[in-house]
Amino acid sequence: MTERAATGEATTARATRRGGPQRIAWILFGTLFVGFLISPILLVVVFSFSDRPITNFPIEALSLVWWRQMLGSIDFAAALQRSLQISGTVAVIGTIIGTMTAAGLMRLRERWTRTILVLGMTPVAMPPLILAVALLVSFVRSGLGLGMTAVIIAHLLITIPLVTLIVYGRLKAIDPILVECARDLGASPFRAGLTVTAPLAAPAVVGAALMIFAISIDEFVLTSFTLGGGNTLPTLVWGMMRTGAMPVVNAIGTVMIALSMGMVLLGVLIARMSLVQHGGAR
Amino acid sequence: MQRRHLPLLLLPSAVLYGAAFVVPIGMFFVVSFWKMQGFSMKPAFTFANYERATQSYAPALGYTLVIATVVALLCVVIALAAGWLMRFKARRWESLLLGLVLVTMFGGYLMKIYAWKTILGNEGVLNSALLGVGLIDEALTFLLYSRGAVVVTMTYFLLPFAILPIYADLRAVADVQLEAAQDLAASRWRAFLTVVLPQCGYGVTSAFALCLLFALGDYITPVLVGGGSMNLYSQLIAPTFGTLFNWPLGAAMAFTLIAASAVVIFLFNRLFSWATRP
Repeated sequence: MTERAATGEATTARATRRGGPQRIAWILFGTLFVGFLISPILLVVVFSFSDRPITNFPIEALSLVWWRQMLGSIDFAAALQRSLQISGTVAVIGTIIGTMTAAGLMRLRERWTRTILVLGMTPVAMPPLILAVALLVSFVRSGLGLGMTAVIIAHLLITIPLVTLIVYGRLKAIDPILVECARDLGASPFRAGLTVTAPLAAPAVVGAALMIFAISIDEFVLTSFTLGGGNTLPTLVWGMMRTGAMPVVNAIGTVMIALSMGMVLLGVLIARMSLVQHGGAR
Repeated sequence: MQRRHLPLLLLPSAVLYGAAFVVPIGMFFVVSFWKMQGFSMKPAFTFANYERATQSYAPALGYTLVIATVVALLCVVIALAAGWLMRFKARRWESLLLGLVLVTMFGGYLMKIYAWKTILGNEGVLNSALLGVGLIDEALTFLLYSRGAVVVTMTYFLLPFAILPIYADLRAVADVQLEAAQDLAASRWRAFLTVVLPQCGYGVTSAFALCLLFALGDYITPVLVGGGSMNLYSQLIAPTFGTLFNWPLGAAMAFTLIAASAVVIFLFNRLFSWATRP
């Protein structure tokens, strides 16, 4: 009797798996989920083209008034320049140091590597506010002071572990036989690294560089505590948000979103492309 | 195992990590025992800061822990559903959804919070839409500047951080295990609870921890969408550095927050192990 009931239950479970209300519920959830993820971001972009200062629907006419106001503002130009300088430096230095660390970890025992990777993640997992105030205190007391160098150091601290993680994961996936082959064919260790390992790891390195650029350009909490004077894009936007409704925020926000999301999208695409290309290499 | 260049390769990150992280955090910890004399810090060894951090600010601390725990739990639950959708239901949409989660993880922390302000405001998107459809006669004023607004906004920008570790664990669950469970007549829900969830312990705990820590330290969301109606602990820490210049007190509050979050994460982990015990 119980056995029959159980079989019956299994059959119904199978039957509902194929379609019906279950499927509709999942489609509904998926739609809501995607809507929840993208609509707030989309709204910022859409409202940057509205002709009215109030951000609601219906948008009566499209206009570039906020974009013009943004481009005409000296504050914006200065903040953009400072943001690009900081994030560019962070992306370059962070990628170099992170890649070096990943290469170093490849030479260590797995046990040590794991410990180092986990410990290295602590600054990333910490509440940014706490890391920011700790850095503020030590930068001021050590005499280094606040400013762009301080911001760059703070950003490096939370981005290098990510580069290391990504590049190490890629290096680990490269078949060691490939390098051995090159060595057997008479290549020096340096040459083998340059002609075999580097091209295979390059997409991960580029992807990581783009990703940390995106993180750095969007980073607000560490920046606001360690920058001292002046503005980057996020601190400029924060000032505008605090002082009240300034619709130009939507335009600047769209620039920030485009910069950081564009970089990540590019990174994801590069990583995917290389995965397809070198699929056999894994 | 080739060891060439090992010290050279690890040196830059080791120096940076030591000088810009270990030393500052150590120094910060030491400062938390110092005292203020007028407007300058004096080296001392006093627990007064910790007493103040845990006693005078106890209500704020408790309230903050509750809000952050609610946010972290919401993120984990939604992430489990979204992860399940991506792993078992989405099929050819799987990689597209994953890409969407990855991309929305970046892009304007401040702008995401601001977007919710424009959605929930009195003249905002939601109110104007509801008025337009005729569902309400006048704007709902309780949407913005409320606890709910803070929770929704935090959940929104933390969700991708919760989805990735949980999805990674779900990827490791073999289809055949789920099929076996269903062949043995386990209901969908039971299969999830007894077969899938226990294998997601690592992802669920890291998602919870990450979301909790970020929610605890976030002092921007309560300012922008929470209004002046409440004081979260993080909102009290920030001014001790910005305007009050009471660094020892601020340091003690920061370490109190870290300790409190460690306790919550530990409790969650225990609870999770208990709930998914065989």
